Amino acid sequence: MAKTKTKPLGKKRSLIGLTVAFSVICVIYVMPVFLVALNSFKKNSFVKTETFKWPTAESFAGFENFITGVTFGGYPFWQSVLYSLLITVLSTALIIFFTSMAAWYISRVNSVFCKVVYFACVFSMVIPFQMVQFTLARTADTLKLNTPWTIPVIYLGFGAGLAVFMFTGFVKSIPLEIEEAAAIDGCGPFRTYFKVVFPMLKPTIISVAILEIMWVWNDYLLPYLVLDKTKYRTIPIHIQYLKGSYGTVDLGATMALIFMSIIPVIVFYLTCQKHIIKGVAAGAVKG
Amino acid sequence: MKKLFALLLAIVMVVSLAACGATTDGDKVGADAGSVYWLNFKPESDGALKELAAMYTEETGVDVQIVTAASGTYNETLIAEMDKENPPTIFVVGNTAAVNEWKDFCYDLTDADITKELNDEYKLYDADGKLCSIGYCYECYGIIVNKALLKEAGYEIEAINNFETLKAAAEDIHARADELGFDAFSSNAMDSSSSWRYTGHLANLEYYYESVDDPDAWKECPAEIKGTYMDNYKALYDLMVENSTVDRKDLAAGGLDSAAEFKDKKAVFYVNGNWEWSGLSEVFAAEDLTMIPYYCGVEGEEKAGLNCGTENYWAVNAKADEADINATLDFMKWVVTDPEASAIAVGTFGVMPYTNAVESTNPFLAQASAYASAGNYTMPWVTNFQPNVDAYRETLVGAMNTYNADPTDANWELVEAAFVAGWATQYAAVNE
Amino acid sequence: MDKKKKKKKAHSHAVVNSKLLRRPIKRAGWFFLLPMVAAFIIGFIWPFLQGMFLSFCKFTTTSSWEWVGFKNYVRAFKDSQFMYSFGYTALWTVVSVILINVLAFTVAYALTQSLKGTNIFRTVFFMPNLIGGIVLGYIWNMIFNGILSYFDTDILRETKYGFWGLIILMCWQQIGYMMIIYIAGLQAIPEDMMEAAKIDGASAWKTLTKITIPNVMPSITICMFLSITNGFKLFDQNLALTGGQPFAINLDGTSVHTTEMIALNIYNTFTESGQFAKGTAQAKAVLFFILVATIGLMQLKTTRDKEVQQ
Repeated sequence: MAKTKTKPLGKKRSLIGLTVAFSVICVIYVMPVFLVALNSFKKNSFVKTETFKWPTAESFAGFENFITGVTFGGYPFWQSVLYSLLITVLSTALIIFFTSMAAWYISRVNSVFCKVVYFACVFSMVIPFQMVQFTLARTADTLKLNTPWTIPVIYLGFGAGLAVFMFTGFVKSIPLEIEEAAAIDGCGPFRTYFKVVFPMLKPTIISVAILEIMWVWNDYLLPYLVLDKTKYRTIPIHIQYLKGSYGTVDLGATMALIFMSIIPVIVFYLTCQKHIIKGVAAGAVKG
Repeated sequence: MKKLFALLLAIVMVVSLAACGATTDGDKVGADAGSVYWLNFKPESDGALKELAAMYTEETGVDVQIVTAASGTYNETLIAEMDKENPPTIFVVGNTAAVNEWKDFCYDLTDADITKELNDEYKLYDADGKLCSIGYCYECYGIIVNKALLKEAGYEIEAINNFETLKAAAEDIHARADELGFDAFSSNAMDSSSSWRYTGHLANLEYYYESVDDPDAWKECPAEIKGTYMDNYKALYDLMVENSTVDRKDLAAGGLDSAAEFKDKKAVFYVNGNWEWSGLSEVFAAEDLTMIPYYCGVEGEEKAGLNCGTENYWAVNAKADEADINATLDFMKWVVTDPEASAIAVGTFGVMPYTNAVESTNPFLAQASAYASAGNYTMPWVTNFQPNVDAYRETLVGAMNTYNADPTDANWELVEAAFVAGWATQYAAVNE
Repeated sequence: MDKKKKKKKAHSHAVVNSKLLRRPIKRAGWFFLLPMVAAFIIGFIWPFLQGMFLSFCKFTTTSSWEWVGFKNYVRAFKDSQFMYSFGYTALWTVVSVILINVLAFTVAYALTQSLKGTNIFRTVFFMPNLIGGIVLGYIWNMIFNGILSYFDTDILRETKYGFWGLIILMCWQQIGYMMIIYIAGLQAIPEDMMEAAKIDGASAWKTLTKITIPNVMPSITICMFLSITNGFKLFDQNLALTGGQPFAINLDGTSVHTTEMIALNIYNTFTESGQFAKGTAQAKAVLFFILVATIGLMQLKTTRDKEVQQ
């Protein structure tokens, strides 16, 4: 009796220890994000020298960095934000819509051609962007895929690999009986897909969405090389222009811009975090 | 789920509407008039050039686009842009290596009107004698001095005219830094924001004096260099980093703000070029500052002048449409002859070596001319020969970081290896 | 055993009945498959094939090329830096894959015990995935230098700092994602299996190795695949954290960038001057692709085999 009583107590104690340990790790985990926020309020020359210190009267810059970041370079920052939003949302929507359909087709039809497409997709996941950077920029320009409204097609093409890989993994695990039942009820492939299959894909949709959103939102080189530079900039491109021709960087303003570009993502994450974590878990485990 | 989609859809619609409203596609003039697309190299000049473009379009109706490459990515940007349907019509071909790379794209400027306006020998030819690019501005660099602080420390600028006097002053000021409240040299880090001061500017003195000894070998890029003046290079380098606000061990990590230190009057000497004037003029008046040559202990250096030259050369895209080429040549001529336009251009670039361009007001360039007219020798930018320049400089930075962490003779040998043997290695790598 | 049977059953089922589904779907291929394949060709296949072609050329822009055969490949193999980066990347990837997966698994294991605040921990651990690579590199560069400055040194001074610094950075970034996948795997283990093990008096270690790990094998497969390809492709973080420094300088003027990984090496090769530089970079990218594709597929096959076996 005594023995069984102490055991859960000991276990409880170790659980408390774990909780404490994890809490400490959590604080360390948030630190870098916090540091960006902190340093965005410091004057440029103090960012490197007093990285970890609280802003002092001497180093505190107020909102100056934010103002510089938003106003420099004669290009309206709000436009870069809009283009970034547009490209990210549109690309993610396109990727999810078209690759999930393709994945369903691939795993249900499973012809030789499907296998070829599937393997090409898996291969594309390991290609470094540098290999196609110039040829892709040229192709995109020829086909006029160089505006924020059309560049999502490029993202769909270049990002299809991962999405198809993940969707196919999930679709394979969906029992065929459900679709067969739908077919017997007289559903054609369109209704079967949109009424039956697509809703079931939700977890994978979320985990694909989060990967693609993070990729597109933070991507610099692809939009920089592909977009028509006379008209369009995204946030990462805007941040790059803070660098002077001799490599001098206004670190304070850079931190401010980075901070501003992280905020929407964090807000998005915190509002949907339950779905996201469930999605990543459910989507990936079947992969 | 449905809600999420509805939300996404709403965002897409709102954003595309807003973005639609934001873009103002100006009416393009017919193709006959041609158009100009300038792929600019300097982020700092972006604003001024856009102003020029707007002015020109208003005056003539010709469409002028200015695109600035993000810092450090000019090469990639050029490769990508040149492939596009509307390639740049003006681009920068700044040294012999770039000429070799881009000569097929360079329009022969020999007979162009603008070339007749050029009043100096800032011309780059390819091996066949085609005039590939012409300088659109020139610059000078040296050691910028805060005269007031120097005086406060008990030294006169006129008395500093060689390495010994510079060294004596710098070492003395550094020793008394705490008492004076300022130091000799501002900190120049070894990261990409500053290392060019050492691997480019400072290195130039070694190449320059070598080229004076053997002018024939330096008519074009030599396959190897001798390193005759490495001791002078070392002497000045050590002087700069030993007597500065920051310990030399901390230079590698970078992130130091040399300009801010100088503006805050924390240092007497600041190693940089005339392009810094626009920033410095916020704090200083022209008579507060001066620029002196890199004194490094070479005999006769009392007659040295500043380092003058340029990496800013215009090339015109030979593969563009003829109408565009003509429009571009007209635009370039306008930039260097129209009084209002050249004033803006000179304001951002410094000096433009063109007969009808307005005079520069930059005090450092005035200083350079003063040296020249006093009979001092001007040191041209021999650094433009550096083979495989990025890799060469990168290796040199690596060696200098090792040396800074532990300044021993053995480690200096590594710097010498990167400097002298590295030249031959990179030359061989590029010219096979 | 049970699982294998199930799988087989499902499979045979698919073969028998799928014709009912297959034909109508196939007829709608223009709608389901075509858009994605078209975009894939534009955004990937065509640029990729052009890239392959250019690896046999010297070129200034992609439209002005000249055929040079295998010259670029010879140059790539002769490049000692490329070979070094190869080895360094391989070593780094092995260490990071082991560490990331072991740590992620451990954290996941701990979090599936009845712990208070599990949800908060998960949320926080996942967060680093939200920040882009270059930014992460700069932030961590600041942090490491801030810490190392107490020891009068910095991250660019020694190869081992750069190596472990990058490992720490990537662990920090990826553990959260992998952890979620492992948690899902752990939660999918049937309760009765664990109960049975407990009743049989199996030790904790035995339960872990005989029941838990074999059951999360699908999670291990996907995590390994993701972390291996991520490791080999790593670019942004490498560039922003150390940029290849410190360099080991040889007395003949050549140097070795001791923390330069393959993707960064390819990138640097593109920006070199010289008429063969860009072709060589393209050839390196092809070689690199062949390598990663082989390793990735091999890994996928071996762990997938293990999945089926149990």
